[in-house]
Amino acid sequence: MNAPDRYERFVVPEGVSKVSYERDTKIINAATFTIEREDHTIGNILRMQLHSDENVLFAGYKLPHPLQYKILIRIQTTSQSSPMQAYNQAINDLDKELDHLKSEFEAELARHAVRQQREF
Amino acid sequence: MEGVSYQRFPKIKIRTVRDDFMKFELRETDASIANALRRVMIAEVPTIAIDLVEIEVNSSVLNDEFIAHRLGLVPLISERAMAMRFSRDCDACDGDGQCEYCSVEFHLRAKCINDQTLDVTSKDLYSSDHTVVPVDFSDSSSGFDNSDTRGIIIVKLRRGQELVLRAIARKGIGKDHAKWSPAATVTFMYEPEIYINEEMMETLTLKEKQDFVESSPTKVFGINPNTGQVYVHDAEAYTYDDEVIKKAEAMGKPGLVEIHAKEDSFIFTVETTGGIKASQLFINAIEILKQKLDAVRLSSDTVEADEQFGELGAHMRGG
Repeated sequence: MNAPDRYERFVVPEGVSKVSYERDTKIINAATFTIEREDHTIGNILRMQLHSDENVLFAGYKLPHPLQYKILIRIQTTSQSSPMQAYNQAINDLDKELDHLKSEFEAELARHAVRQQREF
Repeated sequence: MEGVSYQRFPKIKIRTVRDDFMKFELRETDASIANALRRVMIAEVPTIAIDLVEIEVNSSVLNDEFIAHRLGLVPLISERAMAMRFSRDCDACDGDGQCEYCSVEFHLRAKCINDQTLDVTSKDLYSSDHTVVPVDFSDSSSGFDNSDTRGIIIVKLRRGQELVLRAIARKGIGKDHAKWSPAATVTFMYEPEIYINEEMMETLTLKEKQDFVESSPTKVFGINPNTGQVYVHDAEAYTYDDEVIKKAEAMGKPGLVEIHAKEDSFIFTVETTGGIKASQLFINAIEILKQKLDAVRLSSDTVEADEQFGELGAHMRGG
């Protein structure tokens, strides 16, 4: 009866920004990114990618509530970097990794077809 | 202020590919990427499915809603889905399915005129677009090779019963409704690494070896009939059940075998509904994940707002 519409899970409402950024008021080089209409898929890959960054002291994500369709990513870095820089770097690295994965897969698919042909 | 790159370069090895099935190895990445790809394949790669049904005549035993639901679950060939628009953000129409960019129309007309029960199947659905048609299972060599397979049964009609309807298929994702999920199953497992302590193994009698090999519920180990040596028959049959480890301990031989999961190596199994090819599903999943990442990039106004705030902060700090 009062269940939210199914599309609420992935359609960002008008007037709401997809990503918002809030600096921590007490800790320097710490910030929280609020990402609307995303879940563990994005949250976990970003967190793990941030963990490989040496300048990141803390990176974590949470899905505050299953019916609040947003995630919070919290990042604290050393003074050598900034949360925003680390965040952008993580996205760029993941993007390049996926580019690589796609070309790798397509090449392997072609190689596999050749292997398959030889067997006959 | 460009940082150092921490990019990885994953490797892929394909084992089997068929139209609706694929098995491959993914290496040199972590579980978060493997799981993100799995999640995207199941819930976010778009397909086309019937979403709106207008029933003109229905004198069958099933009610209108029941038939509409069954129609929705029929898998449709969705090669076009990636290039199609979602009707909610289609400018060419108001989303009522009158436009070719976001919808495909289907017609169904069936009437039983004799004493034999008439099966209304997915083959009775007439599509307005020849690239978007119900998946055809009848000519596939795998599975049922029944010659009189006529598609997916929607309803059965007896003499005098009739069904006439118009249906509109739309692009959607599994997150919205499972009928749009292109995946039948997508799973991945960590590749197991099995190490047998040969020295300790040789202290066992043949009977003990047999007991050890048989303690595994799946056939992971075998015994060479000539040498009596225990060997790894199929490492991937191991289900991480710890039974052989417990057996070794019970025999007073802890450390007889060591099994650990390789944290950066995954074996994927992808099976689709037939709507898109398994290999295409994986490619689409990568593409969708890339689009999602692109959408979460910081917009320039957030950056500007922070820079102003930063300057203000600096002023305040500087006094």
